[in-house]
Parts: sequence; structure tokens; C-alpha cells
Amino acid sequence: MGANASQLEKEIGSDQFPANEHYFGLVNFGNTCYINSVLQALYFCKPFREKILEYKAKNKRNKETLLACLADLFYNIATQKKKVGTIAPKKFIARFRKENVKFDNYMQHDAHEFFVQLIDSINECILEKQQAGRNRQQQPQIIPTNQEDISSETLTPDQQNILNDVSLNGSNTAPGSPHGQQQQQGTDRQQENTWVHEIFQAIVTRELRCLNCESVRSTDEVLNNLSVEVHQNTSITHCLRCYFTTETISAENKVHCDNCASLQEHQKRTRLKKLPSILVLHLKRFQFLGQFNRPLKLSHRVVFPLELRVFDTSDDAVNPDRLYDLAAIVVHCGTGINRGHYFSIVKSHRFWLLFDDDLVDKIDPSYIEDFYGLTSEIQKSSETGYILFYQARDPT
Amino acid sequence: FKTFNDGERLIDKTKVTCVRWVPGSVNQFLCSHHSGNMYLYNDELICTQDRPHYQLFKEGEGFSIYTCKTKTTRNPLYRWSLGDMAINEFAFSPCSKFLAVVSQDGFLRIFNFDTMDLIGSCRSYYGGLICVCWSPDGRYVVCGGEDDLLTIWSFSERRVVARGAGHKSWVTVVAFDPYTTLYGEMDGVVMHNEESYNRNNYNSTERSGKVRNKPPIINSRPNSVVSDGLNATCYRLGSVGQDTLLCLWDLKDDYLRQSYYRPRSSTVVSNVGSDGCPSNNTIAHSSSLSANSTQNCNKSSNHVKDANNSTGPPSALSSNSLTAKLASLNFVDRRGGDKTSDKDHKRSMSLAGRNSSSNLHKKDSRSNNCSSAAEGDVSSPSFGSKSSVGTSQCPRMDECPLLEPLVSKKIGHERLTGLVFREDCIVTACQDGCIHTWCRPGKQAGAALHSSPSPSSAGISQPLAAGGTVV
Repeated sequence: MGANASQLEKEIGSDQFPANEHYFGLVNFGNTCYINSVLQALYFCKPFREKILEYKAKNKRNKETLLACLADLFYNIATQKKKVGTIAPKKFIARFRKENVKFDNYMQHDAHEFFVQLIDSINECILEKQQAGRNRQQQPQIIPTNQEDISSETLTPDQQNILNDVSLNGSNTAPGSPHGQQQQQGTDRQQENTWVHEIFQAIVTRELRCLNCESVRSTDEVLNNLSVEVHQNTSITHCLRCYFTTETISAENKVHCDNCASLQEHQKRTRLKKLPSILVLHLKRFQFLGQFNRPLKLSHRVVFPLELRVFDTSDDAVNPDRLYDLAAIVVHCGTGINRGHYFSIVKSHRFWLLFDDDLVDKIDPSYIEDFYGLTSEIQKSSETGYILFYQARDPT
Repeated sequence: FKTFNDGERLIDKTKVTCVRWVPGSVNQFLCSHHSGNMYLYNDELICTQDRPHYQLFKEGEGFSIYTCKTKTTRNPLYRWSLGDMAINEFAFSPCSKFLAVVSQDGFLRIFNFDTMDLIGSCRSYYGGLICVCWSPDGRYVVCGGEDDLLTIWSFSERRVVARGAGHKSWVTVVAFDPYTTLYGEMDGVVMHNEESYNRNNYNSTERSGKVRNKPPIINSRPNSVVSDGLNATCYRLGSVGQDTLLCLWDLKDDYLRQSYYRPRSSTVVSNVGSDGCPSNNTIAHSSSLSANSTQNCNKSSNHVKDANNSTGPPSALSSNSLTAKLASLNFVDRRGGDKTSDKDHKRSMSLAGRNSSSNLHKKDSRSNNCSSAAEGDVSSPSFGSKSSVGTSQCPRMDECPLLEPLVSKKIGHERLTGLVFREDCIVTACQDGCIHTWCRPGKQAGAALHSSPSPSSAGISQPLAAGGTVV
């Protein structure tokens, strides 16, 4: 560990080492690599880290929430005297397990599920705090945790066969109208934009255009990340293009058009309306396939460039040709969702670093190619990109 | 047998990405590296085992060129440095005067190889550019990259004129098929290059290859196609990618000439008119060109004359001004009467629908030509804003025509890494080391499948689409 740390410092060179930057590995507490890998990726998503540290600076003495624990951890890394080393994220993991029964064990979990849960929890913390600040009398009325929302959503029949479907993304689906007809409280909270929304929130709009009268109905969906299907020998660009589809609904599937007052053919389009400042792409590599009870891993080769734009943006999108830079990759190694290992690759200043629990290595960017996936279907085990973090390069 | 940069890799330690003989030279070759540098070597000079000391020779926006600081000439003769991102491929123009370089930073850069001037550039929509090639007449440069797109750049207009979307992953090789490109003759009759004609061409390049007495790395695209006074009207382009797809595209010349930025620069059409082929004039004095083109708008006869005097198609570098004259005449002819483009309609199946609408554009822009000729020109050679989307170097998706492939066919299980068009076949290579040779269809097959006036124009597409004919 120590040898590795000093070697990293040597490799980067003391004159090259970015000022105020710390590369710290995270100790594994028994199958916690799914947590460590996501935390590292998030730590190196600059807007997110800045906001977390800002929170820490503003709230010195606070009751112990998950957000507070995360802020402590990030602060702890950011204020280390040494440039490299290891840290045990003990308090954070304990807190997370306490709050989330599902993760309260020593099993391997899905890093994506963790990411979704974490972002939602943080958002909850901020909202609770905002609400507490505004209305002190009404304060601790416990709001149903998001986890319950999710687990109930997962049970809807059309999502049972596909793991990690959109519903798992911690999305607040709002069918019917852009702001939904959820419970009053839910709507209130959703309308309040937190910085978590500002960073991760993507709005996907689904348009239904009547081919008879050309009237358009659209519904918006708020997502913290996009879960895309993977196909063999494709690029993430193609996966995104498949996510944003255009299809014609005709024949027996005709939809009722209010304007025409009859069943009509419709064109269905999915477009991205709001481009987030950090675009998180989840590759749906774990899928239930008919005859198997457990999800199988799709090791398909999906290439992802260091730069990205989204093609299918809606006409009213604010910044449709926003350019993204790859900031971090969470890599899954192994054969299945509940086994194997996670680590992350992040870009920090001019360097690419690999964070594998307590180990940190500087890598050549060409090494990323190794995590695109496999072109042969024979091998079951693979090291593949699983969650991609693209950060918007906005003109400053 | 000689080696360069061997031993301690004193010249460059990173991997070699592309090597080509410098056309027209007996002993020079250019070699690009992952480091973002290209080196010009002379194979008659031995590579000494001492570290080269460079001195700056020439500098431009985004590049610098160095020579070795020695009394005697030594290898490398020059080092071209294009930043620290890998150079992925480069290609000399058919006239061998220009060099197109694509790199991982997403830029296509076009240099005048001899004067070492950067004369144009464009950018991928995003991600690195992987491959590049020139149209057989040197008018267009096509590159493919990590945005899954083809980017088509016009030499004369110095801008991206179209993009091609059809690949599902990164595009690894692009190549023009000179044998199925359609050419218009000076009398306005479109003629597909006959086999006999082709064979002549082929032989001539082979011969020139022998003269040079070099390994077959030589960029042996038939350069002489245009020098017979023929004008390409529909280019056939092939591309392969990591998606295991072979895509074939028809690039219709008059379609590519449409100005897509309606409000800003409908003028570009007029510029193309003045130099049907890339003009030397433009490179040296862009301001004088703008003067020219304004003039041209006023009098079209003047226009032809100008083109003769001031421009020479790079593809016919050695040739006489007669060629240029014919080419320009031909062009004016074609624009005058739509006889030819009517025939094109029948022939090009992919763009027939679009073409009809694009003819409208053409008429529109023609009427606008005179008024805005000057301003259109101003925008073209500015490299300052090249990185930002929405410029002529990187138009937004809705600012630029998007082409679809004529044919798109999965031809393997591994990603494709090579594509060569030959007279009788198409050769593809893939990552697992297999090389496939695909038969071109016989004339009979073409006649049966196509109702187009000239059966031989049917192209290679059909059998491939039907399942492929492997040899």
C-alpha cells in the first residue's frame, strides 16, 4: 500500500503533481468495491465535488445524515497533508447501510443501484434541510424514503423481466403532465431544484404526434442518468440513438387522439430536452434472459469516445450541442451482477488514474480500450465499462 | 533493408500510425506516430544513432515544423508536430500537392505539403478522427471518426459540406471507389467509365508505381481520371467500421454543392463555380479569390477565363490549361442545362428524393449569388473559431446535410480494419486477421437489377446487399 502510494507520486512527478489534488484509495470493507468505485468517480466529477465541499464548509456541525457523511469523507480526502494514500470510508458506509436495509449486508451489490440510491438520498437530505429551514414547526414529518418508492416501482409487471430498467434510475416519472400528478408533497419537492438536479438532471421528453391532425402531446421524465441497452460491436453513440427512438404506432396499436376524438396513428418520439452538466450513462449489461433465473452479463464491445454529444435533442432543448468530456468510468469485472469486482478510472487534470479500492495507479489513456468489452461471445467473464460519467465542457 | 528509428527509438518512442511514400519523390516517406508527430525521412540517408536536435522551421496555428540542427542532412528531414494527440492517418491528394491529416484531437488538417502551409481544417462532431481519404479528383476530403459519422469536406469551399450517418460504431476506413464513380463529359452527357477506360487508368498508375520503384505503400489512386476532361458527378464511397458494417455511399456532386446555410452563405456555390477544382489561387490569396468570384458573378464568360488563368486542378497538376478549360466549361454547361442532372436522377437511387428538393436550393442560391459573394468568402478561411460548433469547420447537425448509406451490410463478426477498392473486387480486412475479397457484380447482374440507362453503373452494391459473394 505504502509502496504503491509513493510509487504513484514518483510516477506523476512532484513538479507535475496537480496542486490541491489528492489521490487516495478507499479501503474495502468486504465487498464494498461497488461503493468505492462510484465514490471515486463522483469525487472526480468536479461540479459534484465542489458542491459537496461547499456543503461541508457551510454546515460545520450538523446532525449525521448521509450527505454529511459523504461531505466529511470528501473533505477528509481534500484536506489530507499527503498527496497520496488510503482512507477508510467507514462512517459513510455504516451510515449508508443503516439507511438502506437492502445494502445492509456484506454482499456484492450493483454499483448502478448504489449510485441511484446515493444521489436520491443526497437530494432528500438537501430538500429536508431546505424544508426544515423554511418551516421549523413542521420539521420532522418523515417523508417516505425514496428506496420504498423504487422497490414498489420495480414490481410493475413490465419491468420485472428487465433488471435495471429506467424505473430503477430513481426517476420521478410524471405521466400525463410535465409535473405529474403525484402526491402533493412529492410534487412540491420535485419542483424545488436542488444542486443535485442542476448537476445530474436530464429531462427526457416523449412526444406523441397524431398523424392525422398533427397535434402533439408530450410527457417529460426526469432522470438522474440514462440506462441504455447494449448491442454487440456498437458505440455508446449508437446505444444513445437507440434509446432515443422514433416509432410509428399503427394498426391495432392505434392511440386515441383527443383532438380527432378517434383512434389514430401516432408517431412516438423520445428526445432529450434538458442536457445535464454531468451525463451519467448506465450500460444495461445485466439482463434476465428467459431460461435463466439470474441476470446474465452482456460483455458486448461498446466503444465510448473521450468526447460526446447527444444527437437526439428536442427542438426546444436549451443547449442541444453541449460537448461532453469523459470524466470517469466505473468498470465491472466478472460474470454477474452479484459477483465480481468494481473499480473506476477517472480523469484528473491531465492524468488518467485507476482506483481499485485502496490501490491507485496512473494509467495510459490507451488502456481504456481494454474496457470496451469483448467481441466474442464465448468468454463469460470480462472487464467492461459499466457506468460512464460525461462532464459538460461549457465555455467559461 | 533498412530500419529507421530503431534501437533506442531516439526519434519517437510511440507507435507508428501511418506510413506513406511522398508521391513524386523517389526516396522520401512520411511516418506518423501516436505522439502527434510526423517525420519525413529520406531512405537514402542512414538513420544515425544519436538523438536529433531540432530547431523550429515553420510555425502555424496548431502546428509547428522542425528540422534537425545539423550541418549535413540527416533523418528525419522534418518533424511535423500537431500537438500531443495521436495522428491517426494521413493521405496525399491525388495531385500529390496536398496532405490531409486526421488526429485524435478531432481535427482534419489540410496542408500544402511543399510550402507547409495549413490551408484548411475541420473538426469532427465529437471525438477523434480515425481515417481520411481524398476523392479521386481531389475535390473532396472524407474522414470518419469516433462520432460514428463521415465528414465530407470540400476543398474549394474549405468547409464541411455534408455528413454521413449509418455506422453504429467508429468508422475505421474510408475509401473512394474510382471504378464506380460516375463522370460527366464535357458535352454534358454523363458517362460511366467503361471498363476499357478503367483498365487504361489502372495500368497507368501501375506503371507510375514501377517508375518510382517502391513498395506498394505508394498512394496509388488513379490520379489521371479527371485529366481527360471528365467531371465526376456521383462519387462512390465506401466505409468500414468497428460495427463490422461495410457501408457504400453515393456522393452526388451537385448535392454536395448545395449551400446549406441558407441565410449566411448561399454564395459558396458561386465560388465552386469559379474553381471547379481546388484553385491554387485560393490558397495563396484568399482575398483575391473573393474579388475574382464577385467578378465571376457579373460575367460568366469572364468566370471561365479566370478559372483558366488562375486555377489549376490539383489532380491534373502536370497537365495543361486545356484540361482546366474543359473542366470549367463542362461545369458551366451543366449548370446551364439540367439535362445531365436529370439523368443523374435515374441513376442515383439513394439521393433521388433529396435531389429534387436540392435543385430548388440551387436555383435559389443562384439568384443570390451576386449579392453576397464577398461575405461568403470571408467566413471560409478563418481558423480562429474552428473548435466551436456551429462554424463551417464544425456545423451543427441541422446545419449540414446528412447522408445515408446506399448499402449497409454486416460482413463479419470482428471489427473491420481495411478497405480497398480494386477494379474487379473489393478487399476488406478485419481485426482477427482475415482478409476477404468481394466480387464486383458482372455486367449482367447489374443489367438485371437496374433500370438505369447504363447498366454498368449499377455498382457493386446489389450482390453484397443480397448476401455477399465471397471469393
